[in-house]
Amino acid sequence: NKVSSFKIKLENGGFLEGLVRGFKNGISKEDYRHLTQCDTLEDLKLHLQGTGYGHFLANEPSPLTVSVIDEKLREKLVIEFEYIRNHAYKDLATFLDFIKYSYMIDNIILLITGTLHQRQLSELLPKCHPLGIFDQMETVTIASTTADLYNAILVDSPLAPFFKECISEEDLNEMNIEIIRNTLYKAYLEAFYDWCQQKGGATADVMCEILAFEADRRSIIITINSFGTELTKEDRAKLYPRRGKLYPDGLLELSKADEYEAVKRVSELYAEYKPLFDGTGNNPGDKTLEDKFFEHEVTLNVNSFMQQFQYGVFYSYVKLKEQECRNIIWIAECIAQRHRAKIDSYIPIM
Amino acid sequence: MSLQSLFKMGSLFRSEEMCLAQLYLQSEAAFACVSELGELGLAQFRDLNPDVNAFQRKFVNEVRRCDDMERKLRFLEKEVKKDNLAIDDTGENPPAPLPREMIDMENKFDKLETEMKSVNSNQEALKKNFLELTELKHILRKTQQFFEQCLQIILTKYKKNNNQVYFPIIYNYNLQWLSNIVHFFYYRFVAGVLMRDKISAFERVIWRACRGNVFLRYTEIEAELEDPHTGDKVNKYVFIVFFQGDQLKSRIKKICTGFRATLYPCPETPQERREIALGVMTRIEDLQTVLNQTADHRRMVLSQVALNIRVWLIKVRKIKAIYHTLNLFNVNIEKCLIAECWCPVVDIDRIQLALRRGTELSGSSVPSIMQQMQTKENPPTYNQTDKFTSGFQAIIDAFGVSNYREVNPAPFTIITFPFLFAVMFGDMGHGLLMFLFALYLVLKENRYMKHKPEDEIFKMMFDGRYLILLMGLFSIYTGFLYNECFSRSINIFGTSWNFLMEFRCVMTLDPNKPGVFRGYPYFYGIDPIWQSAENKITVQNSYKMKNAVLMGFAQMIFGLSLAFCNRRHFKDKLTLYCELLPQLLFLCALIGYLCMCILYKWSTAPSLLIGLIDMYMLTDPKSNNRVPLYTGQYQVQIFLVIVTVLCVPWMFLSKPYILYKRSKQKKGHTRFMFFHTKFVKHIKLLIIMLISQFDMSEVIIYQAIHTIEFCLSCISHTASYLRLWALSLAHSELSEVLWSMVMHTGLATSGTSGAILSFFVFWFFSSLTVSILLVMEGLSAFLHAIRLHWVEFQSKFYKGEGYIFSPFSFTLIVEGKV
Repeated sequence: NKVSSFKIKLENGGFLEGLVRGFKNGISKEDYRHLTQCDTLEDLKLHLQGTGYGHFLANEPSPLTVSVIDEKLREKLVIEFEYIRNHAYKDLATFLDFIKYSYMIDNIILLITGTLHQRQLSELLPKCHPLGIFDQMETVTIASTTADLYNAILVDSPLAPFFKECISEEDLNEMNIEIIRNTLYKAYLEAFYDWCQQKGGATADVMCEILAFEADRRSIIITINSFGTELTKEDRAKLYPRRGKLYPDGLLELSKADEYEAVKRVSELYAEYKPLFDGTGNNPGDKTLEDKFFEHEVTLNVNSFMQQFQYGVFYSYVKLKEQECRNIIWIAECIAQRHRAKIDSYIPIM
Repeated sequence: MSLQSLFKMGSLFRSEEMCLAQLYLQSEAAFACVSELGELGLAQFRDLNPDVNAFQRKFVNEVRRCDDMERKLRFLEKEVKKDNLAIDDTGENPPAPLPREMIDMENKFDKLETEMKSVNSNQEALKKNFLELTELKHILRKTQQFFEQCLQIILTKYKKNNNQVYFPIIYNYNLQWLSNIVHFFYYRFVAGVLMRDKISAFERVIWRACRGNVFLRYTEIEAELEDPHTGDKVNKYVFIVFFQGDQLKSRIKKICTGFRATLYPCPETPQERREIALGVMTRIEDLQTVLNQTADHRRMVLSQVALNIRVWLIKVRKIKAIYHTLNLFNVNIEKCLIAECWCPVVDIDRIQLALRRGTELSGSSVPSIMQQMQTKENPPTYNQTDKFTSGFQAIIDAFGVSNYREVNPAPFTIITFPFLFAVMFGDMGHGLLMFLFALYLVLKENRYMKHKPEDEIFKMMFDGRYLILLMGLFSIYTGFLYNECFSRSINIFGTSWNFLMEFRCVMTLDPNKPGVFRGYPYFYGIDPIWQSAENKITVQNSYKMKNAVLMGFAQMIFGLSLAFCNRRHFKDKLTLYCELLPQLLFLCALIGYLCMCILYKWSTAPSLLIGLIDMYMLTDPKSNNRVPLYTGQYQVQIFLVIVTVLCVPWMFLSKPYILYKRSKQKKGHTRFMFFHTKFVKHIKLLIIMLISQFDMSEVIIYQAIHTIEFCLSCISHTASYLRLWALSLAHSELSEVLWSMVMHTGLATSGTSGAILSFFVFWFFSSLTVSILLVMEGLSAFLHAIRLHWVEFQSKFYKGEGYIFSPFSFTLIVEGKV
């Protein structure tokens, strides 16, 4: 029986899981230390050749720029991800699509905001994340209301189910777009969470933990960012994803908050989030809350690799790689701008 | 080959003697010297700056410049391949250029790259232009067709409803008329082209976004178009959208940009369209000539590149390798680089010669100095191989690279491996096929060496061609012994049995019946008569089984004698007397005696199994009324059992004990001097050693494990050799089944139908023979032969904990093996 269940698991993405575990190994702690010692981007390139990233910059002429490195890093991730996606089927394919949806949301919002600011499409497109590109994406610029957006364009895109709650006849404006983004994200997180829950097993164990954190992080950040804006508390409460550990009591409390301290008070009631708020502040040497959140996310994602035969590794792989790319870019930026004081504030991946 | 160079070759028996040497190179001569050493390929450099980052080393800039040159060459190579030009391969091996030539090379590549890039961008712009014109041509053609079709439809409709006048009656219908209608109702249209995979999404979006107030028609362009940027072939659609009003127009245009459709101005009247079409055609023709010229120019530049690119790549790789090596050197002293390298002792002269050549080449006046160093480090293992031995050495290295100067099993493997394989694979026919296949590879090896086979499996077989050759040859030999050719026996020398005497439905050969056996054995191998005997398997089984045990014992004893060579070579008397000697005695007393009995038994025949059990139960065969093998058997056996039992503590205790005593003596302990007799003193010391917690515990555990392992393995390894019998049985049975079930049915049918049937059956038989008997069975016998060597044979003497010598060699670097 054990053998047969093993076999089923193996058929269901075992090969891909092995692949992902191989892809995961990028840069070690030692490598980070060496990277921060680089004097120029050429040095960085030379050192990256010795890591898991290999020769991804080999065909780039000198002088290198940070944007080229960024582009190539992203390209590498996309190629790996698409390879996995093309070999996945059934549940794993759905799961991987879920990962892509978040990028689609970001892309749509980016395009709408850009159009609102009279930017050209050709200028916006390179900024879109390649993982979130879909057929109808580029036509979102024709929409002037959300109803328009839904009826004309998104109705047969994969994002349609998440759009139910944001349809209105109001014209698109900055405020609106932020609300759409958060509502979409909320619907997406809830759908993703429910899917993982229904899938059950180790996938549910791992993913629900990560997604719950993601939901709570969004709630907290939405609250903090809403201070001093026109957003009413009722509207704000509607944007909270209702799947995290804060749900329901914490969210209720959070919806009443109107200053940072209040948010902190609410969050400190939860054992997981208390340490994140401790020691944050704006003083030099302190870490920002955002960085603390990132660190916690990294821990969760690294833990997901501790379990086998579950889809969490795919999600964690994408997130960790993104973090790693962010780190490299951070270091590269520091080197390029000769601003070495903060070069060490990347988020190490254990 | 002269005698001298033969001696220089060294032997495979032990790895080459190595020494650690220090090189003092003048800064200006270092490059040339390393270059010479790279051509020679006999020195393995050690990293003297392990703590320095890759980008902080001295020659990092030069390495970077080489990287850049390589990048440019890769770019050029890609362009050459894009144009399907053949890259010239003369097999020339240019020496590494001097550092000052690097600048010339850089300039040359830089110029070529810029030229290539400008040609490319030119070509791309032209192609883009060409693509636009072609698309416009298609649009004009398709819209024309579309309007004509519409006209037809309207006309037929009009004819049907003749009596109802919708339109003014115009007899001279023409397209002008239609466009007038379109214009009359203020219908506007845009036309454009779109990628094929986007058309359905486009249609849906346009329908929904305009709420159904548009009319869209599209049709495929039959010809494939070329994407100017990537050069890929793409399929596109022409579409035409009719709409009313300016608001819709801007909306549609936005959607079109969203789907990256290209819109083209399309005039509304047929005359204008025709005029534009004519203009487009002439422009396309002009552009085509320009395009052809650009392509010619590009081809000319590239053919120059294709001629030299291989040589350039080799040069750049060599320079890069040299600078990488120089980065390993110690550069702390001014004007001098210090390097450390491992090199074979026999080749020191050649290395020194190379250094001298390098110094002369660079024009330096101060000679480079090479000096041997004393070291306690383990030198690398270097076995010189040629094309014949490399396959066998690879089998050994796959298990583990031998310790420095340890006995290398490879030369023995050359014979034992194919032999053990053949014991399991014995069949003349199959062996012959295998032999012929390997012979083909060997005869064609020059061709395959030049053009390396791409296929990995084929490459593996090619690398092991001499191994397969010997395997095939030995299989033919054992096939003769087993007298099997595709499972059939051949009666060459005439059988020595009167089979007519015994020929009944069931034929059992029994030599005890009078007149059946002629009294003299078959001349060579197994008598073909057994082929048809009912008790064939019983007889062959017992024969092959005993053979397997004998061969196993022989190989294990041989392994132990190699261990003896090792001990002698490393002057390890302690292990020799305290480990190897009892091991040898143990094996001989246990298995050796069994083998002796087997040999003896072939003349007389009491049961061996019971004899062996009796031996260890210490029962006298006479007491159970059994016939002894020979007189005095009981006494001999008692003696052997005692020897066996004594060997165990000997193996286990003597070595740790002596080590313990030595360490005590070193520390100068005299505590035990008051014991009176020597014997009591030793026993006391032994007990103290065993019960007390001290630094020898590791040694004791190690020894215990080894003792237990050896004692158990004597039995299990001997049993393991029975696989020789089992696989051989499986092979002969399988081929027999294939013959009787497949080939026999074809041959047994008579008449024309039989001939036709045989024709097809043979095809079936031969493909099964190759795929199952040759490939699958061959692989399984191969695996078992490997196992017998790695485990049963090598465990007796081989450590395999060394590391391989990997010299700095241009040949390996250029071939991309490093």
